[in-house]
Amino acid sequence: MPVFNEPMPRRTMVLFFLVDASSSMEGGKIGAVNDAIRNVLPMVNDISVNNNDAEIRVAVLKFSSGVEWVYSEPKLASDFEWLDIQAAGLTDMGEACRELSRKLSRSAFMKSEGGFFAPAVILLSDGHPTDDFAAGLNSLKRNKWFMKGIRVAIAIGNDADKDALAQFCLDKEGVFDVHDIESLRKVIRLVALTTSQIGSTSATTADTTKQGQVIAAVKQGIENNKPSSVEEGKLEPAEPKKDNWTDWD
Amino acid sequence: MLELKKGMTVHLTDGGTAVVEKELGRGGQGIVYAVKTDSGMMALKWYTDRPDDRFYDNLAENIKNGAPSDVFLWPLHITRKEYGSFGYIMKLRPEGYYEFTGFLRAKYRFESYHAITVAAMEICEGFKALHAQGLSYQDLNDGNFFIEPKTGHVLIVDNDNVFPHGEKSGIKGKMRYMAPEVVTGQNPNAHSDKFSLAVILFLLFCGNHPFEGARVASCPCMEEDAERRFYGSEILFICDPDDSSNRPVRGVHPNVIRHWPNLPGILRRTFITEFGKDRLLNPTRRLTELQWQSVIMAVRDNLVICPHCGEETYIDGASGCRCMNCRHSFDIPSILQIEKRSLALTKGNLLYIDRDEVPDVEVIQDKSDKSMLLLKNISGTKWSVDTPSGRTKIVSPGEVMPVKKGLIVTFGSFNKKGTIL
Ligand SMILES: [Zn+2]
Repeated sequence: MPVFNEPMPRRTMVLFFLVDASSSMEGGKIGAVNDAIRNVLPMVNDISVNNNDAEIRVAVLKFSSGVEWVYSEPKLASDFEWLDIQAAGLTDMGEACRELSRKLSRSAFMKSEGGFFAPAVILLSDGHPTDDFAAGLNSLKRNKWFMKGIRVAIAIGNDADKDALAQFCLDKEGVFDVHDIESLRKVIRLVALTTSQIGSTSATTADTTKQGQVIAAVKQGIENNKPSSVEEGKLEPAEPKKDNWTDWD
Repeated sequence: MLELKKGMTVHLTDGGTAVVEKELGRGGQGIVYAVKTDSGMMALKWYTDRPDDRFYDNLAENIKNGAPSDVFLWPLHITRKEYGSFGYIMKLRPEGYYEFTGFLRAKYRFESYHAITVAAMEICEGFKALHAQGLSYQDLNDGNFFIEPKTGHVLIVDNDNVFPHGEKSGIKGKMRYMAPEVVTGQNPNAHSDKFSLAVILFLLFCGNHPFEGARVASCPCMEEDAERRFYGSEILFICDPDDSSNRPVRGVHPNVIRHWPNLPGILRRTFITEFGKDRLLNPTRRLTELQWQSVIMAVRDNLVICPHCGEETYIDGASGCRCMNCRHSFDIPSILQIEKRSLALTKGNLLYIDRDEVPDVEVIQDKSDKSMLLLKNISGTKWSVDTPSGRTKIVSPGEVMPVKKGLIVTFGSFNKKGTIL
């Protein structure tokens, strides 16, 4: 007779996306964000399903003039039907911090029988906060879940407030900037998969934190994905080797 | 660009080539591709994180020395350093083998308790051979084993982190599987492998983690410092006899709650010692694989067929000879004593005289006299039997002998003598 066992209990790791949906994101940027997250969700699901340490749930908060959760609670990636985010309005990044802090609580999103791993938060923005970001971030910094978690940000284009994003990550290395739509798509995928992988498994005995490991792995990934200059069409031909017949006396 | 594409050719240092056919999977360190080589389809693990030269040289050395045993899906060829990285060739995973993680997630089930003992034995065999060569695995976890659910046969994969004992591979293991001294900062070695091996064996027999009980379950956020405590500085076995503060939780850890009382006493005692304070603090005192194998052999000797329902049950559990399936109590009418081992002679039981998983004796009922049990020789060699009155009988393969007290059986090829008591 087969040996019937229940699945081992596992924890939950919530993967948060904080998406800037202000009017400057309109067009290609928000389109790439929608497309990238929609496409990465099935891959996040694969990481979750084949994982005995934790399952991954996804929560998405969009912020513009005000903030709004795409779903009212974290969902399994397989259940997360992606509805396109529309861009319009201001950049209430401070309020986004405050709202994240409200939900990072055992009386809100962080309730589960099996317990959690520390969450991972990915912040995407292309501009400067238009509200009181400092006050919002300060309240978030008092939240233990946030402080123990993985925090990374994607700075989209030249107008992104990289200082604000670095303050959010508590590490300026945690900010990855992208300057074209194709890299935006790729970096979202890379960051989402790396944080999912590292955030949802038991910590390693390495000296670096999970956040440090995510940052290093994303950097390596960006490096690996760079086409070589030859692929980009920059071909520097070598000079023909001249034989000066020296060994012929 | 460190990823390979279909149709690309990689060159092996021993002269062969491998042509990429398709991606099979990817992990933190690299991507596995199916490749066409001179000796047929193989798997290529290609590193996307470009490990250093020391790693490359070590891998080449392991390939040169060959697999410590058949249980390993060992690297066979290494590629040149090209396309900005390198990789190695191994055999493709055979059909019918599944990742141990899938068993723990209850996606796959062992077909029998016997299959679990086979898996346990083979994992010990593999690490015994590995350690005998002065090597250590360093990153043992549930993703490193593929198991065949019916037979329990094992394949150990991800052997690229195997380094000589005492040398650091640089690969960092998951705290959940690492020895407490490694979690608190020491380098992994063959002693810490032995700890990880014991964790794997506990998972095999009990279906839950040996250090995850009430204390761990009540931690709402398992952040990195908490893991360092629960698997390092404050590690506590869930079945610790002196400290009950980390017991398995009803409804959360049902497998161990169900299996633990059924397990033969020798296995329970071994886990208690192995996961007790003394062995946690003194890595060199941990059981060797050979010692584990004799424990597992004793477990197998205590796994019998229930005469009432015909299913497997352990004897020597907390409730003695009470079937863990149908709950009927039964007597063991006779036993076969071989040195310190006592093999139960109950109808339908299979006996293993040597360590392999091929049974040598089947206990059957005499068709004409149901009260009489017989031993059938299902081994490949003759037995000779000495009767109490001094006669000698020969039992050839396929033949039977009666279960009568005082008979002494010599199992030819195994050089073992058993007495029926
Ligand atoms: Zn029974």
